[in-house]
Amino acid sequence: MSPSNWTRRRFLTAGGSAALALSAPSLRAQGKGRVVFGSWGGTWEAAMRKAWFDPFTAKTGIEVVTATGNTYGKIQSMVETGRPEWDVVEVQPDFQWIGTEKGLLEKIDFSVVDKKPIMPGKDMITDYSVPQVLFSRVMFYNTKAYPQAPQNWADVWDLQRFPGKRTFFSRSHGGVLEAALMADGVPGDKLYPLDVDRALRKLTQIKSQIIWYDGLAQAEQYMTDGQAQLGLVADGRVLAAISNKAPVAIQNNQSLVTWSTMVVLKGAQNRDAAMKLLAYALSVEGQTAIAMAYTYGPVVPAALKAVPEDRARTLSGGPQQQGKYVLLDAAWWGKNTEMATEKLNAWRLA
Amino acid sequence: MAAPRIATAALLAPGLVVLGAFFVFPIISLLWQSLTANGGAFVNYGRFLSQPVYFQVLQRTIIMSAATAGICLLLGYPVAYRLAHAGPRGRAILLAFILIPFWTNLLVRAYGWLVLLNPRGIINRYLLDLGIVQEPLALVHNSTGALIGMVQIMLPYMILPLAATMARVDPALVRAGRSLGASPLAVFTSVYFPLTRPGVMAGLVLVFTISLGFFVIPAILGGTRDIFLAQLIEFNISQALNWGFAGALSVLLVVTTMLLFWIGDRWFGLRAVWGVR
Repeated sequence: MSPSNWTRRRFLTAGGSAALALSAPSLRAQGKGRVVFGSWGGTWEAAMRKAWFDPFTAKTGIEVVTATGNTYGKIQSMVETGRPEWDVVEVQPDFQWIGTEKGLLEKIDFSVVDKKPIMPGKDMITDYSVPQVLFSRVMFYNTKAYPQAPQNWADVWDLQRFPGKRTFFSRSHGGVLEAALMADGVPGDKLYPLDVDRALRKLTQIKSQIIWYDGLAQAEQYMTDGQAQLGLVADGRVLAAISNKAPVAIQNNQSLVTWSTMVVLKGAQNRDAAMKLLAYALSVEGQTAIAMAYTYGPVVPAALKAVPEDRARTLSGGPQQQGKYVLLDAAWWGKNTEMATEKLNAWRLA
Repeated sequence: MAAPRIATAALLAPGLVVLGAFFVFPIISLLWQSLTANGGAFVNYGRFLSQPVYFQVLQRTIIMSAATAGICLLLGYPVAYRLAHAGPRGRAILLAFILIPFWTNLLVRAYGWLVLLNPRGIINRYLLDLGIVQEPLALVHNSTGALIGMVQIMLPYMILPLAATMARVDPALVRAGRSLGASPLAVFTSVYFPLTRPGVMAGLVLVFTISLGFFVIPAILGGTRDIFLAQLIEFNISQALNWGFAGALSVLLVVTTMLLFWIGDRWFGLRAVWGVR
């Protein structure tokens, strides 16, 4: 055997085993133990890992792998290949309709996922989606700027009594239109279908005083350095600003509550394991654990009772918000985000 | 004859394959989607024509990008001059000042500007303390803020091609002009500047084209009116899943840009950029 031949053979052998090693994980993934979860990442993903993924793996032996960048565009292109890399994805509830309409979702197996303990609420559960956690946007105000706290959105629109900049999420579905309509006297339970034109007319009254945020870190910055004195921001970010000694406080009146949704992608390679993961995340145990790990609220009322009172009061949809919040209409937004965005953009340029 | 040609083809092939797969194919598929998806060409292009907001955004995108390019030229020209004619040490220091911000994350820089420019930020506090202004200047949450952020990010794209061109200018020509009695200004306007024109054009084209695609900076530093076309494309791709309309907007942006370049080439000698005469 010539040396060159030997080397070549060794090369082939080495190459062969490398190829085997590379393909091994994917073989295992198809066998039993793996779910790929498309997430928003960051500290939220770390909380899910602690509250859901690690205990789930300990219990079932199914490994949970996470990936970030869960935009709808990415989901669509992934499903269109026929073999999506992800199994479960967390999304905004409008995707319950967008995703269903585009045929991107797998039906939820409700023989595995128990829906009875989940809170009542319009469209919280659909054939293709289950809620994940509650998420609320609340009014905040600068405690140094005003002797009295604003009580409602009408106060936020009162530039005489409450001068200063207001901050809102720059996207139409961030609650700014709902806030404007409530400021204009529309009761919280009569908001939908949203009268976008009326909301924008009302918004014109404070147009020069609005600064927009494009991400939550930006909103937190505005609260902390006092660039905005009032606004509508995710509750967790206000709490974070408060714990960083920012002079801001939460007004829970007329807060807006929505939820995040979990869906299983059409053609998911680990569909059955994915259903088991959803079932675990929605168990009282899983929902209690996530409520202890992050400030998003549980969608299972029994879990809210299981967490200590002072903890519960910091959660979205917790006792401090009961009777004060409006649940966003995800179905309306699923159908109308494009229309509302177009109108909001036209208004911004007018 | 055949062998060199094959060698050339072989050398070009990898680049062409990459360009074809990751550039030409996606562009054609986007164009195709704009004609067929989400209601087809009439719906997608008709929406652009019937809703004035989209034309306004396109117009704004172009004006802001052009302004960015112009400001970058004014600020970048002297810096490029220093860089091109500096000694080795000076050049290293200048390059560090130009490139370190260039390597810093875009979001970090945007947030940095927010902290500096806001009404209670460092710049306004100094101006107020020194009595230069009575009211804080509105430097952010408006087009000024968006422009400041964009200009800072784009400056290296202006300075580097300019400096490369300037370094090639024969210093003897400048000396000849001076010795023949021309004033420094006359030497600059009739000798030095014309010789650096390819660099000027290259910088302008580069900054303008890249600026057209901005969306993070105007969203963070801009005001109510600062919407860029890329923001609408991003919304339609990743939120609304309306790829047909996103495709139409992209095609319109590409066509408008090409039209502007054609005008630039026809009347302003843009051709010099590519080294063609």
